[in-house]
Amino acid sequence: MKEELELREKARDLLEKGDVICVIGYGAGSTPFKTTPVFIEKAEDVDKLVWNPACVNNLAVYLRDACSKGRTAVVVKPCDAKSVVELIREKQIKREDVVVIAVRCPGMLNEDALKGFDTTDIKSVEWRDNKIVVKTSDGETEIPAQDALLNKCLTCDLTKSPIVDIQIGEPFERQPVKSEYADLEEIEKLTPEERRAYWARQFARCIRCYACRAVCPGCYCKECFVEKPCQLWVMKATDTESNWFFHVTRAMHTAGRCIACGECERACPMGLPLMKLNAKLRKEVAEMFREEPGRDPEALPTLGKFDMKNDPDPCGE
Amino acid sequence: MEPKVILKENLSSWLEALVSNYEVIAPVTEDGVLVFRPVLKLSEMTIEGTSGPAKSLREHFTPQTETLFHYKLYDQSADVAPPELEIRDRVIFGARACDAAALLYVDAVYSNVEPIDVQYFERRKHTHIIGLFCDKPAWSCFCTEVGDFLEKPAGMDVYLTDLGDRYYVEPLTQKGEELVALAKTQPANENDLSLVNETRRKALERLPKRANHEESCIAYDWDHPVFVELAKKCLSCGVCAFTCPTCHCFDIEECPRGSKGSRYRCWDTCQFEKFTLTGAGHNPRETRKERTRQRIFHKFKYSKERYGMLGCVGCGRCIANCPVNIDIRDVIKELERRR
Repeated sequence: MKEELELREKARDLLEKGDVICVIGYGAGSTPFKTTPVFIEKAEDVDKLVWNPACVNNLAVYLRDACSKGRTAVVVKPCDAKSVVELIREKQIKREDVVVIAVRCPGMLNEDALKGFDTTDIKSVEWRDNKIVVKTSDGETEIPAQDALLNKCLTCDLTKSPIVDIQIGEPFERQPVKSEYADLEEIEKLTPEERRAYWARQFARCIRCYACRAVCPGCYCKECFVEKPCQLWVMKATDTESNWFFHVTRAMHTAGRCIACGECERACPMGLPLMKLNAKLRKEVAEMFREEPGRDPEALPTLGKFDMKNDPDPCGE
Repeated sequence: MEPKVILKENLSSWLEALVSNYEVIAPVTEDGVLVFRPVLKLSEMTIEGTSGPAKSLREHFTPQTETLFHYKLYDQSADVAPPELEIRDRVIFGARACDAAALLYVDAVYSNVEPIDVQYFERRKHTHIIGLFCDKPAWSCFCTEVGDFLEKPAGMDVYLTDLGDRYYVEPLTQKGEELVALAKTQPANENDLSLVNETRRKALERLPKRANHEESCIAYDWDHPVFVELAKKCLSCGVCAFTCPTCHCFDIEECPRGSKGSRYRCWDTCQFEKFTLTGAGHNPRETRKERTRQRIFHKFKYSKERYGMLGCVGCGRCIANCPVNIDIRDVIKELERRR
């Protein structure tokens, strides 16, 4: 694919010139509908880089570690770039330590779209415009975007990456087919008792593997509140209350910072609808602070500033 | 023990009979996720068209959180009470061959320790397993690479194979005969047998060939560069361990509430940084390199050395669930390539 070759050339260039010590990108996964993060440190390894509908991971999660060792290039989709913006404005990485390689993104594959397939027989998964074409030994199947792409891709309005040093391919013209908050409606319609029962059932399933936290570029505390030793207010025990406490606190900690990459929900093996928590908080932030995190690297963090003059909801004098 | 067949139209009444005699645990779809749950009727279950539940059977033998004892403190003394342990006779319906085989490994782990883990063995004793042949293995499945239990089931009492309008029913133990006797069955005929063989052949074609990891794992290289590579991408979550049917490590914690409280154990994993953190601050498995190595070495080399068997049944959950696509098959291939 054109973008893939161009990506490799740029990566080779960066490494040969010594502009960066590492290019973090996507490599071929162990099946055609998966990719795996790769850390390219030598120009001769750039052919390991791939670009296809399985490049779902948000690689910004690796930047804090990587940039502390030296200038790093990272391959992003426009949505992932919002995480890079957040890391910069939260002063977790320096702008000059990262080279953002944004690649044309027609949307990423939702693995659920493969449910009807024999997954041992998938030969390739490719884009055709923003549709996904799955090839098996029986031939090819074209899946329309609506059924094939991740939810976040259906709500995405980001044509251009909010931060970019190298653009690969023409940015893909994005038009959201649904609102990010659409899935909230059914929950908001419930009575408080029904809502409580809904979330209790979800949190009861949690196995506290912390995959949600591990994949989150915004979850970078050295010691997570949930793992502080000898505390008595949230237990290591997986009872519904402690699980609940963990998820709600984590959601609150990422409020105003969550850029809705959806990685937490994707990583969850137990199908917890974590993006519903995040979407709710993002909606609140959008309404109260009139901004969306991840759009402007120059701006102060949403909850890290105090603007008395333009407070839309003043209290006191 | 003679194989039988049960028509699918008679499955419901079999389940009713089982439910009136046992607690029945079976795969259930909850909010789109397949989980093992107690069921009362067939319509609650999802047994066809899947490649198995998201989690293994582990929680049904060692619950993720389990009270060890309750206590009450006085000035100079304490009352200690064991937990209530009421275990009914249970049937796990629709367990996969990998999950059943995994129980034999966990048995070996618990069998070699004193004092005897009463809670584990009580649950084992009271649990009977009706297994289901996997006719739709997933891309991540590799049970046939590490064992032959898909064809020669281990750790179960009855083995079912879906033949379309009926199940081929193989009682494997005396208990299995008893369970099958509760169903309206008929003897299997030649036609059923050839259909079973065909179903199995088709599934096996989609699965890898047997490898001799038992022999090669002994020589796995402690300093192999594959772990340096894994450490770069591994995010140190516990999804591999907590969905694994053979992982069994736990932590012991306390829940004090004033002068009383309880001590409990809950799952823990070598993938978490704090798993080996000592009170003095030293951590023998400080980086992800040591932690990823521990998991692989434990599953293969250490298990073979300690229990004479592999600690991996090839269920593929760690592969399917890893958010960064770390594939244990590729890791062991790498370890065995550069010996």
